[in-house]
Amino acid sequence: MKKELALFMLVITVMGVVASGCLSGQESTSTSTASGESSTSEKTTNVVIYGYGSEMITLDPSTEFSNSIVVLANVYECLVKYTPNGLEPWLATSWESNENGTIWTFHLREGVKFHTGNTMTAEDVKWSIERTLRMGLGPAFIWDPIEKMEVVNDYTIKFYLKYPANLPLIASSAYGAYIMDSKYLSTIGDDNAIADWLNQGQDAGTGPYTIVKDKYDPKTEIVLEKFSDYWGGWSNDQFDIAVIKIVPDASLREQMVTSGEIQITRDLPLDDLPKLQENPNVKVDQTASYQELYAFFNTKKEPLNNKLVRQALSYAVPYKDIVDYVLHGYGEVAKGPIPKGMLGHFEDLNMYTYDIDKAKQLLAQAGYPNGGFKLVLTYTQGDQAEAKVAEIIKAEWKKLGVEVEIRPMNWEQQWALAKSDPSKAQDVLMMYWWPTYPTPYDFLFNMFHCEEEINFNLCYYCNGEFDKAIDEAATLEGINQDKAAQLYRKAEEILMEDAPAIFFYNPDDVYVYHKSIAGFKDNPGYPQVVFFYDLHKA
Amino acid sequence: MRFREYIVYRLVLAVFVIIGVVTVVFFVSRIIPSDPAALWVGAHPTPEAIERAREQLHLNDPVVKQFAYYLWSLLHGDLGVSIRTHNPVAVDLKSAFTATFELILAAEFIAIVIAIPLGVYSAVKKDSWVDNFGRVFAISGVSLPAFWFGIVLQLIFFKHLGILPLAGRVDTVVMLEHPLHVITGFYLLDSLLTWNIPVFVDALKHLILPALTLAMYPIGLITRQVRSMMIEVLNENYIRTAWAYGLPSKKIYFEYALKNAIAPALITVGLSFAYTLVGAFLVELIFNWPGLGRYAAYAILSMDYPAVLGVTIITATAYVFINLIVDLIQVKLDPRIRL
Repeated sequence: MKKELALFMLVITVMGVVASGCLSGQESTSTSTASGESSTSEKTTNVVIYGYGSEMITLDPSTEFSNSIVVLANVYECLVKYTPNGLEPWLATSWESNENGTIWTFHLREGVKFHTGNTMTAEDVKWSIERTLRMGLGPAFIWDPIEKMEVVNDYTIKFYLKYPANLPLIASSAYGAYIMDSKYLSTIGDDNAIADWLNQGQDAGTGPYTIVKDKYDPKTEIVLEKFSDYWGGWSNDQFDIAVIKIVPDASLREQMVTSGEIQITRDLPLDDLPKLQENPNVKVDQTASYQELYAFFNTKKEPLNNKLVRQALSYAVPYKDIVDYVLHGYGEVAKGPIPKGMLGHFEDLNMYTYDIDKAKQLLAQAGYPNGGFKLVLTYTQGDQAEAKVAEIIKAEWKKLGVEVEIRPMNWEQQWALAKSDPSKAQDVLMMYWWPTYPTPYDFLFNMFHCEEEINFNLCYYCNGEFDKAIDEAATLEGINQDKAAQLYRKAEEILMEDAPAIFFYNPDDVYVYHKSIAGFKDNPGYPQVVFFYDLHKA
Repeated sequence: MRFREYIVYRLVLAVFVIIGVVTVVFFVSRIIPSDPAALWVGAHPTPEAIERAREQLHLNDPVVKQFAYYLWSLLHGDLGVSIRTHNPVAVDLKSAFTATFELILAAEFIAIVIAIPLGVYSAVKKDSWVDNFGRVFAISGVSLPAFWFGIVLQLIFFKHLGILPLAGRVDTVVMLEHPLHVITGFYLLDSLLTWNIPVFVDALKHLILPALTLAMYPIGLITRQVRSMMIEVLNENYIRTAWAYGLPSKKIYFEYALKNAIAPALITVGLSFAYTLVGAFLVELIFNWPGLGRYAAYAILSMDYPAVLGVTIITATAYVFINLIVDLIQVKLDPRIRL
């Protein structure tokens, strides 16, 4: 009988091993080769680990439009770096344009080496942007203004635009603006072959870190290794190895960072932050993000097609209470559609404030003295903050006699519903927006510009005067920021008057890091990215 | 029916079961309104990018055609590409499967090692404090939720005692210092095969808490089964006769009684494999174990239907095979059961 038991266990084990071998003929993603061993084994005490909540998606800088920028921004570099204080040189040392912002010249940094050993030149810049445009996926649209590029010499490149645009800002984009090694990548094959090669965990960037290929497991951890020939040089207290460890559970990340098992993390439960602020093992970094929470009114459906109703509902939102209750103070009440810190944000914009009497008065004026209608509100399932906001506005609007039916939905589902047919879509839709690169145009165009086919204008808003103002502002952004700001202000005032959406709040980016590291600086232009090069041992 | 014919018959049946499961899951996942193309392209896509993705993913085709396309790929061993991770589902599943299987095996090992002696001892010392403790332990194991056990174990062994790691399969730094050459995907086995002792020790430490958490349910189940069968057997005449002959108690308990009591327990062990597979889904989330459960949870939440289908196929196949093996062992053990 014992034999049978042993046999049973053996059969099960063998079955498991065989099945794991049969499942795929492809190489295991977590294997390491002899070369991997030698390259990392000697210098491991010098490791920094970033505990991150989501898995990596793709590693192709031309198409990646999601989480993986946390890897890409450490491995590749853009021509220009965005900071809240303005644009800074990165791979380009300087740039200038003609008077109307249609021809831009970038002067590149000399002596920059790719991880492959090749030297970066203007050809690489041209090739990288051309490939992104050719593939036309993900964030490729950022380069839309480009008519053609001209390589003047090895370290100078000229861009001719179809229409004026703030090209340095575009070139600083967290998505789709990384420069790749054209000489190396063109030997691999066509664009798809290159994408496959990159997605296996290889890179061709100039950044301070390079991906350790044999340790690339997008679901578990991504190991980055210092690139010795980095143009910025290295000091002794920087980290030789940086790891992005995927830990989806927030409370687990919290325990890990307090115990020092990981050194930095974000997106921890907001309720726990006050406690963490008192913990001597960790430091809490709180910076305003470029994210904003909106609720879009369905302006194509009664009664929300009535401006007065929308205004009334906008007055019946306790903005300050929401920030206190939902964000526990880790954020600010939104001042219009553009987050704080960006061009186009105005502290003194005429905002809606909580005024239930005014709301009742407006509703009566609109012909609904006691409310008496019902609205369907959708939000992204699983988002605790959105759920809380939905509950609060349901309670507040009830005071006006307006019933709200709350429907949590998977994001793709609620988006599909909103895009289907406005007359059957939800009445109110809640959603966050953050920019592809930090320009107000990305916000205002995507969410409020007239659209023939609905994409992100989920309030179905269309106002010619508004469109004209933002379109003109966008062309002036690169050459006359004051004029651009004036036009953006005009557009936002129109928007506040028409009230197609409610602007709730801008949450803060909150990073928690272990006392053993220092140098961390949040950059809202590169959301969720930790620049490991800035970090050093405390 | 002969034994060999029976196996073939069951295997053919298994194929139909799996096809049935795939069909149901495929069509149900298409009925739920969602936009896989939007998930594929990422955060703020343009309509053109979505349209292109729709073509690439064959989403414009009729559902039946999509199903035929899926089955055809399946026949070629291709489980499709995950909409969320853009990875071939088979590649994703491979590493996840071995991680889960290692965890389940460890849990079953712990369960057997603890539950069988505990069950025997409880039966022998019926109504003693050991028996009472065994019964409470067994009932708690079966009825208390795994995530509760998991968190309690983490609090005790990680937070207060600091002797076992919190989560994951192996420590990042240990893995960097002593790179593991992966052969089978089972870290314990691979580290032994390549004689990588630091990784073996670390992987073992990481395995203890999740495996123990996962073992609680089968421990309860098997203890109860062994105990009740042992009590029944110990009341049989032949055992009384054995006592009368003055045979040593060890021989009576372990050779005569346990031999007869263990057959049904063995079935329970087999079936508890299936339970632990489901239990692992939750335990993996608590311990950040990169296995099937964690993969499935995120696939379901994001409506990544090729991944959901992949997990379903693997789980269904495992279920069918475990049941088949249990049945076969039962037949071998008890010839009275007809094929």
